[in-house]
Amino acid sequence: MTSVYSQIARSEKQTEEFRVLELVKKSAQRSARRKAKKIELLPPRTNVMPVDQDWSSVWPGPRSFHPASVPLPLRQGYNKKGVSPGKFANAELMKIPNFLHLTPPAIKKHCEALKKFCTPWPEELNDENCEKHFPVEVITSDYCFSSPDIREPMARIVILKVKLSALTLDKHAKDKLLRLVGERYDPSTDILTLTTDRCPLKKQNYEYALYLLTALYHESQKTEPWESEKTVADMEYYDWEQNVSYKNVLGTLNWPQSVKDTENFKLTPEMEEYKKAISDLMNKGEDLYTISKYKEATKKLLNLPEFLPLEYTTA
Amino acid sequence: MLTRYKFLLTVTRNNYFLRQLSLESPNVFAKPESRCRTVEDNPLNHNLEHEGRFYVVPPAVCNQLFRFGGIPKGYEVQAKTFDETCLMIRKPALEVINMMKVADYSRPIVKYVLFGERGAGKSLTLAHILHYALNSGHLIIHVPWVPDWMKKCKDHTRSETREGFRDTPLDSAAWLAHFKTQNQHLLSQTDLTVTSNYTWSKREETRSGSPLVELVDLGINRIKYASNIIVALASEVKALSSSGRCKTLVAIDGFNCFYNKRTMIKDENWKIVPPFQLTVTEAFINLVNYNWTNGSVVLTADRLVWSGNERGESDLPLYQLGKEAFELLDPFIPVHVPCYSEKEFHSCMDYYMERSWIQNENGNTEEGRSELMYLSTMNPYQLMKICGPL
Repeated sequence: MTSVYSQIARSEKQTEEFRVLELVKKSAQRSARRKAKKIELLPPRTNVMPVDQDWSSVWPGPRSFHPASVPLPLRQGYNKKGVSPGKFANAELMKIPNFLHLTPPAIKKHCEALKKFCTPWPEELNDENCEKHFPVEVITSDYCFSSPDIREPMARIVILKVKLSALTLDKHAKDKLLRLVGERYDPSTDILTLTTDRCPLKKQNYEYALYLLTALYHESQKTEPWESEKTVADMEYYDWEQNVSYKNVLGTLNWPQSVKDTENFKLTPEMEEYKKAISDLMNKGEDLYTISKYKEATKKLLNLPEFLPLEYTTA
Repeated sequence: MLTRYKFLLTVTRNNYFLRQLSLESPNVFAKPESRCRTVEDNPLNHNLEHEGRFYVVPPAVCNQLFRFGGIPKGYEVQAKTFDETCLMIRKPALEVINMMKVADYSRPIVKYVLFGERGAGKSLTLAHILHYALNSGHLIIHVPWVPDWMKKCKDHTRSETREGFRDTPLDSAAWLAHFKTQNQHLLSQTDLTVTSNYTWSKREETRSGSPLVELVDLGINRIKYASNIIVALASEVKALSSSGRCKTLVAIDGFNCFYNKRTMIKDENWKIVPPFQLTVTEAFINLVNYNWTNGSVVLTADRLVWSGNERGESDLPLYQLGKEAFELLDPFIPVHVPCYSEKEFHSCMDYYMERSWIQNENGNTEEGRSELMYLSTMNPYQLMKICGPL
C-alpha cells in the first residue's frame, strides 16, 4: 500500500515541479534503445557431412570457394602477428581458383563416361616397344589463362627427349655429340633433353627442336681437320698408354736404362693389372676400393709382398 | 715447466690407491707387458703380435729424432704430461716397415703415401717409421711439416743463383741442423763424402771427397747459402744411396703443400710466391723422383696443408695430391691410416687409465667407454681432446 502511494506521490511531484536537467543519462534510460536484430545462422553444412560421402555430388562443377561446404580446416594468407586466417570470410581463398570439382573420384567418373568413346590401348605396345618405335618424346604444356590476353607465354616451351641408344653413333660421333650438348645429357638415364623456347609459338619451337636434333646428329658424324689436335688434357677418359703414368712405370721397371721408345713394349700381366687399376681409379672415381685395388696392383708391379701377418721379419 | 706436485687419486669401483709422480724421476712405474703396453721398443722387432699396444720411445732417441719437430704439438704436450713419449704400434706403420724390410733395394725407390682423415695418426705413423729407420741405420731426410715453411716462413730473400727464385735462409739452416741431429751417428763416419765440386763464393767451396758433414755445417754457419746447400745435399744423398754407401729414408709430412698454388710468402713487389719458385722445393721434388736406388720415400697427403676449407671433400690421395703430384709420384703405394679399431681404442683407454688421466669415475665403465667411442667416432685426435677435461 505504501509503495503505490509513493509512486503516485513521485509522479505527482514530477508534474508539479520543474523538469530536472540530467547531464548523464541513467542506465534505465540508456537501455531503452532498440536492440539490433540477430539473424539466426544455421550451423555450417560441414558439421553434418559424413566422411564417406560422394564429393562429386556436393561439388559438381567449378565454383568459387564456399567455406561452409568444404570440410577442410584450411588456413590461407598472412597475419603479421599470429596464425594465418581461417577459411571463413577469407577473401584470398575465394579469389584463387580451386579444383575441388576435379578430385580423383570425379575424374574417374569422367573417364568412365568417356570410355565408351575410346578404343583399347594396343597390347603389343608396351614400354619397350614404345621406346623402340617412338624414341622421341615431346613434352608441351597448355595453360588456362584468364587475363586481357589469352596467350600464355609459358605455353610456347617445347621439351624434346630422346635416348642416345636409339641413335646410331660410333665412338667419335658420341664423344663429339656429348661435347656439343654438354649439360643437356643425363648419363644415368642416357636421355638427351632439348628445351626450346626461343620462338614465340609452340609450333615454331617444335620444328626448331627437330631441326636441332638433326643438326646435332649430322654434325657429330663429321670429322673436322682440327679435331686431330686433341691433346691428353682434352681426353674424356683416361687412356693409360697416352699418359705420363705409362712412361713412369716403364721408366721404373727398366731403370737404369731410360725409355725413349714407348711403342714397342709388351705388357706383362702385372702391368695389365696395374693399367686396369689406374684406369679404374681415374675413370670411375676415387674411393677406398679403387685405391686399394691400385695399391695391390702397384705392390705386384714392384714385387712387394702382401702384408705378412705374425711372422718375424728381421731387418 | 710444470712445477706442480702430482698426487693423483684414482677411484675405481673396487679399490682406492694413491699415486705420486714427480717430474724428474724416471718412469718408476714402467709396466711390463700388459694389454696396452709392450716392452719391445725396437721397431725392428715389431710385428702383428704387438699391434694395438704402446711402446716407449727412449728419451735419447726422442731427442735425436724429434727435437726440431716430427711429433704433433698436441701429442707432444701429452707426452710431457705423461713423462714419456709412447707410440702405438698400428697396422699402417707395420705394413710400411715390413715392405721396407723386404723391398729390393737394387731397384728404384719405392714411394709410400700415407693418407687418412684428420687426426687419424699419419704424423705419428711417420714418427714410428723414422724410429725404425734410425735403428736400422738409414740416413734420414725428414721434413716435419712442409706448411711451416710455406705459411710461417721466418725469412726469405731473393735467390742469387737462380733467377726469379726465393731462398729461405733461416728455415733452411734450421732444417740442416735438424738433419745433422737426426743423422749424427752416420755423418760421423768418414765414408759419406761429397761427389762433386761446389763453389759457393770466391773463398768458399766444397771439394769432392770432403765429408758430407762439412757441407751441412757450412749450411748451418753460412745461412746465405743454406737453401742452395739443401739442393746440393739432395743430389749428393741420391748419388750416395745409388752407389750403395748408405740407405736413405725420405720422410715428408704434408707433401701436397708443394703443389699448392700459393704460399704466404710475398716477394718485393708484394706478389705471392708459389711453392715452385722456392729453392728448397726443388730439392725435395728431386728426391721423390724415381731415378735412384737404395732408398724409400714415405710421404703424407694431408688435408691440413690447405688453408680454410679448401680441398675438404675427401682425404683420399688422388684428390689431395692433385694431378701433377700424382703423375710425379706414380706408381706409389697408398697406405690408408684409419681411425682406431675397437682393440686399439680399448688399448688407448687402458693407457689413459693407467696414467691416471681420466678422473671421472664413469671413465672405466663399459657405458662410459661406449659413450666415448661414439663421441670421438674412434678418431684418435678427438679422443685425446675429449679425454682432456675428464
